[in-house]
Amino acid sequence: MLSVKGLRANVGEKEILKGLDLEVGRGEIHAIMGPNGSGKSTFAHVLSGRDGYQVTGGSVDFEGRDLLAMAPEERAHAGIFLAFQYPVELPGVNNTYFLKAALNAIRKARGEPELDAVSFLRLMKERLKVLHLDDSLLKRPVNFGFSGGEKKRNEIFQMALLEPRLSILDETDSGLDIDALRIVADGVNTLRSPERSMIVVTHYQRLLDYIEPDFVHVLAMGRIVRSGGKELALELEEKGYGWIAGEEAA
Amino acid sequence: MSAELGNGFDRWLAGAEGSSRPRLDWLETQRAQARERVRDQGIPSNKQEAWRYTSLTRLLEQEFVPAAARVPEVGPEVIQRLSIPGLDANRVVLVNGRFAADLSDLRDLPAGVRIGGLRQILESDPDALRERLNGVAGDAQPLFTALNTAGVDDGLVLLLPRGVHLPRPIEVVHLAVATDSPRVAQPRHVVALEEGAQATLIERYLSAGDSLYCTNSVLELSLGRDSVLKHQRIQTESPSAFHIAGVFLSQGSGSRYEGINLGLGGSWARTELRVLFAGEQAECDLKGLYLAGDRQLMDFHLDVEHRVPRCTSRENFKGILYGKGRAIFDGRVLVSRDAQKTDAAMSNKNLILSEGAEVDTKPQLEINADDVKCSHGTTVGQIEPEMLFYLRSRGISAPLARRMLCLGFAGEILDALTPETLREQVAEQVGRRLEQSPLT
Amino acid sequence: MSPSPTVEAVVKSEYEHGFVTEIESDTLPPGLNEDVVRTISARKGEPDFMLEYRLKALGHWRTMKTPRWAHVHYPEIDFQAISYYSAPKTKDGPMSLDEIDPVLRETYNKLGIPIEEQMALSGIAVDAVFDSVSIATTFRETLAKAGVIFCSISEALRDYPELVRQHLGSVVPHTDNFYAALNAAVFSDGTFVYVPKGTRCPMELSTYFRINARNTGQFERTLIVAEAGSYVSYLEGCTAPQRDENQLHAAVVELIAMEDAQIKYSTVQNWYPGDAEGRGGIYNFVTKRGDCRGARSKISWTQVETGSAITWKYPSCLLRGDDSVGEFYSVAVTKGRQQADTGTKMIHLGRNTRSTIVSKGISAGRGQQTYRGLVRIAARAEGARNHTQCDSLLIGDRCGAHTFPYIEVKNPSARMEHEATTSKIGEDQLFYCRSRGLTEEDAVSMIVNGFCKEVFNELPMEFAVEAQKLLSISLEGAVG
Repeated sequence: MLSVKGLRANVGEKEILKGLDLEVGRGEIHAIMGPNGSGKSTFAHVLSGRDGYQVTGGSVDFEGRDLLAMAPEERAHAGIFLAFQYPVELPGVNNTYFLKAALNAIRKARGEPELDAVSFLRLMKERLKVLHLDDSLLKRPVNFGFSGGEKKRNEIFQMALLEPRLSILDETDSGLDIDALRIVADGVNTLRSPERSMIVVTHYQRLLDYIEPDFVHVLAMGRIVRSGGKELALELEEKGYGWIAGEEAA
Repeated sequence: MSAELGNGFDRWLAGAEGSSRPRLDWLETQRAQARERVRDQGIPSNKQEAWRYTSLTRLLEQEFVPAAARVPEVGPEVIQRLSIPGLDANRVVLVNGRFAADLSDLRDLPAGVRIGGLRQILESDPDALRERLNGVAGDAQPLFTALNTAGVDDGLVLLLPRGVHLPRPIEVVHLAVATDSPRVAQPRHVVALEEGAQATLIERYLSAGDSLYCTNSVLELSLGRDSVLKHQRIQTESPSAFHIAGVFLSQGSGSRYEGINLGLGGSWARTELRVLFAGEQAECDLKGLYLAGDRQLMDFHLDVEHRVPRCTSRENFKGILYGKGRAIFDGRVLVSRDAQKTDAAMSNKNLILSEGAEVDTKPQLEINADDVKCSHGTTVGQIEPEMLFYLRSRGISAPLARRMLCLGFAGEILDALTPETLREQVAEQVGRRLEQSPLT
Repeated sequence: MSPSPTVEAVVKSEYEHGFVTEIESDTLPPGLNEDVVRTISARKGEPDFMLEYRLKALGHWRTMKTPRWAHVHYPEIDFQAISYYSAPKTKDGPMSLDEIDPVLRETYNKLGIPIEEQMALSGIAVDAVFDSVSIATTFRETLAKAGVIFCSISEALRDYPELVRQHLGSVVPHTDNFYAALNAAVFSDGTFVYVPKGTRCPMELSTYFRINARNTGQFERTLIVAEAGSYVSYLEGCTAPQRDENQLHAAVVELIAMEDAQIKYSTVQNWYPGDAEGRGGIYNFVTKRGDCRGARSKISWTQVETGSAITWKYPSCLLRGDDSVGEFYSVAVTKGRQQADTGTKMIHLGRNTRSTIVSKGISAGRGQQTYRGLVRIAARAEGARNHTQCDSLLIGDRCGAHTFPYIEVKNPSARMEHEATTSKIGEDQLFYCRSRGLTEEDAVSMIVNGFCKEVFNELPMEFAVEAQKLLSISLEGAVG
């Protein structure tokens, strides 16, 4: 589904990703772990097409298409979804209006008919329940004045609504208390299907207690330095990132 | 015949002396004095603060003649077509500045409410207006207000007696229809709320086509003690039109004024708002939104004078500039020495979206009392790239995302419009305007 | 409301530097005409081009009217009643230190200005200007070794005429405004600084200006040229004796920063402000402008304005070079009947130019203060940025604080933010400090210092201390 080969990317003059390789198959959940500054968020942003990152080498193939050549909205149409670490507030932009515009843009791109107001509302209410989100959220501007937890839940809610093929969760656990974390994880788990893949970017093992990955990769110094099953996450938790860094140096 | 004005505006007043308008000594005196004032002011140049950023050249190139005294023929279907669906309101229609009784709908108004054409009331009961006309605008009138006074002839009069609450908004439709030669209309509106009265006023400046004309309207608003007025001005004149408006507001103690000004139409539009607090503990909330697109000029001047203690004023104006649009925001808050406990805040935010657009903003504070809380803030910027990215990452195309963010920016002002049907209609209009224009 | 006793006390607080130096001086009789200009030029032995320049300026000045747009009020100035040249009667021009008249030396000692090198604050070179002429410049040799020229402008005209000719009037032309034209015609002295390519000036440079003679105007001219990649920090201080009549000070300062050059210009202005009734005091009408001519150049103005009856000045930056930076940090205090109309202009012409404006105004007694500023972002100034913060603090109910910003934006990638606040000194803050044992005066001084901190931080260390002290003295007992 996703094939990343030798990906190199800069932020300004500085090289952050230094030849990253990753293969994600259909229905798989991959966790990417790593210390601060290892390039985790850069990787997530490069996949979603954010400005300010210069790809200097390598390739990203998504279902036979060159992902790096696509505009952010084209990537969304193709089925990529980034759950932001810091979802941006959009004052004045109504949440319902926003969600409808997004969903219909994606449906249109997929050749599906646009939803009318009634079926859209029905769909929304149904997905809201799954995430224990309140209706009132729909009347407010996007993320505006939301608490940290609400913002993260809103991201997962959007994911539930837009039904992407590949979701990238960028430090979705950061800033969440245990209850909020469980709700978010439940939401993610209900979306698991053999058709959908996920990349879960996280610093801590904690999230992986709730969202069980098929593969765990350790990102350090801009490259995947170690890959394994979910037991790798536990090992990391126990020994810390210094263990990997030490081995690298050795 | 008085001497030439020497600034090209004689034509605006031509024939006024000979017209059929009511002759009242006090009114003739006011007209003559205003004429003097017009002459004394000459042609404003950019050396004058109020005209620093606004050029009159385009206006002076036009050869407007006064609108005919007769109300032009307009069928009710025209009004129907321009109406806001589902708006439950009493309606006053003025065509080319003339009060059109036939097109107005003044049913079921509470007893004692006086509403009608200025000319009509000057004829039937001039004393009702003697203290009111120029009562708020005063003597030291700026150029276009003085011109309006010099030619004063018709307009709207609304007088609410003590304690009356209007059950429905009053919608004032200022309709412009094409004439043989470009005309200038100078309507004068007088609105007064006595103690404890409450009303909602919706003014809409509309045109039946895209003809060239000029509106130079003056509105005098007088709010008695503890009265409440919600006033929404929606300017959607024809794309060729010149629009000049003077709004003069005097607020009695404990009164509350909520004003929303939308500058959307016209080719050259200037609005001068002057607020004077006459009594303590009054509140004035002025909101505004302007869209200046291709070669449009949107020029707002706000002058809020705190001359008594304990009043509150808020100004929040937002602008979106694109194409070769140009906007001017000139806001001034004056706090006199006695106006202790004044609370005043002014904000002007602008989105500048294309090359060739320009915004000049001048938020001024003049403070002569110490126990006050005054602030102003101004920004000029663009759509935040991270916001744009967020929307695009959800599959929304860049042009739609930009439009959504512009509407979001405008939302703070648009959301204040009531009732809902008006808000929706105006929001849609703003959306359409943005859709037609390339937002880079 | 009647003024509180403490407000009375502010009004009475005395001007420290109000003494007069009894010294014989060579002063031209009052009046301004071509002969006066010729005499000034001749006494200074100037090259011909300078005389021509002065006469051209005088001609232009005669066609101009006094500017009236500022928010200040004063009676018409009789420009024929002013003497345009006054020099202490000693040998011409700056001299070696042991030659200085002991009376003058004493004057500067009284002011705490170290013109004697052994007493100098470590590493600060001083140029002292007394009435119309420069009397001493210290540390010249050390500076010369680094290639830095630091001398009076009269000397510069004699020793480096081509350098002066090339730059003088290139930032503030003689046609710029009424007072700039007047200055160009009659300026008598001032300071010239030239920092060669790639040189970091080894010490702070400073000039102290003193007006002494009666009925004299002081018209100094400062020109600082920083060549590519150089750096210089310059400070000026000003005092004058206490006299009943007003005296005119109309200076022009021009700064030129080439590629990658930086100029930091700081002012502590403490001219005599006049007495409580508004008698006397200096009219401080000054034109200061910096030209960021080269890419990545930076000009930073910092001013602490506590003196003068009337202050009218707008230190400005022309941001012509791409990526150039302009800064303006200002603290202004008006009390008694002082009036100040001050601010800055940031003209963004180059790409990615940035400017910062921080203005702190304190108004007490019957003081009137105006911030007036212009931020202009030209159509070609791609990516330009400005941030402006103007805060006013009011102490007493007879003073005024006004803010008149002008913002003109013609580029769609420009970002500009302007914020302004006006408020009374916080009673709860005062109470908090006093409940911790501070006297009311100390509390005011502490709060005001906190209010001004952002600006003081920009001053060179030694002067930050001095500025804080000056502020405390200015505000002695000022509680509303």
